[in-house]
Amino acid sequence: MALQPKYKHVVFLIIVGLLGWAVPGAGHLAINKKTHAFIIFLTIAVTFIVGLYIGSLAVIDSVGSKPWYAAQVMNSPAVVILGHISSKGGYDVYGRPGEIGQIYTSIAGLLNLLCIVNAVYWAHIFRAANEQE
Amino acid sequence: MITVSFILASFVRPEMIGVNPQSMLWLLPLVAAISIVYKTTKIPAIKFTTFLKEVVILFSSIVIFMIITAGVLYTMAWLLTE
Repeated sequence: MALQPKYKHVVFLIIVGLLGWAVPGAGHLAINKKTHAFIIFLTIAVTFIVGLYIGSLAVIDSVGSKPWYAAQVMNSPAVVILGHISSKGGYDVYGRPGEIGQIYTSIAGLLNLLCIVNAVYWAHIFRAANEQE
Repeated sequence: MITVSFILASFVRPEMIGVNPQSMLWLLPLVAAISIVYKTTKIPAIKFTTFLKEVVILFSSIVIFMIITAGVLYTMAWLLTE
């Protein structure tokens, strides 16, 4: 049995949200906002990589700093893999590099959360506008 | 291969950043990233000049507000400790 348009729309919104989480900017790409997608991907990826470069893999700490880790995971599910590597590797970071690295990677994750919400919102708005026409 | 190893090695050892006033400059790239992403989510159709102008305005606003906040906190600390 085919899905009703209302449920199709909800499924599409969920897919947009999941794409945006999987790869920063992919949610915007799904709604045909290519420039937005490119800018979001570049900015969030660079911010996250700079954070990792400054503080090393040790800034992704799923055991000792759970609130920061929760924000970092919003970058992409791939962060879970990095967290696993980090916990097995015995990496350590202290002081200012640890702080800056954690702040950069976590802010990148929170920015991606903003982008996910924005992509889902625009997907909903565009659909509503199309239905009115 | 050596290049790849060198790049990967950069991510397993933290950089040396001292606790000094200069380390506060690390906030500037972060503010730039926040400004760019925030304005990307706010502007439906991006035109380079308009987008750049909006980003620069937001970046400046955040930095100026942080400088004012730092000044107020510094003055309060000075008044309380003198």
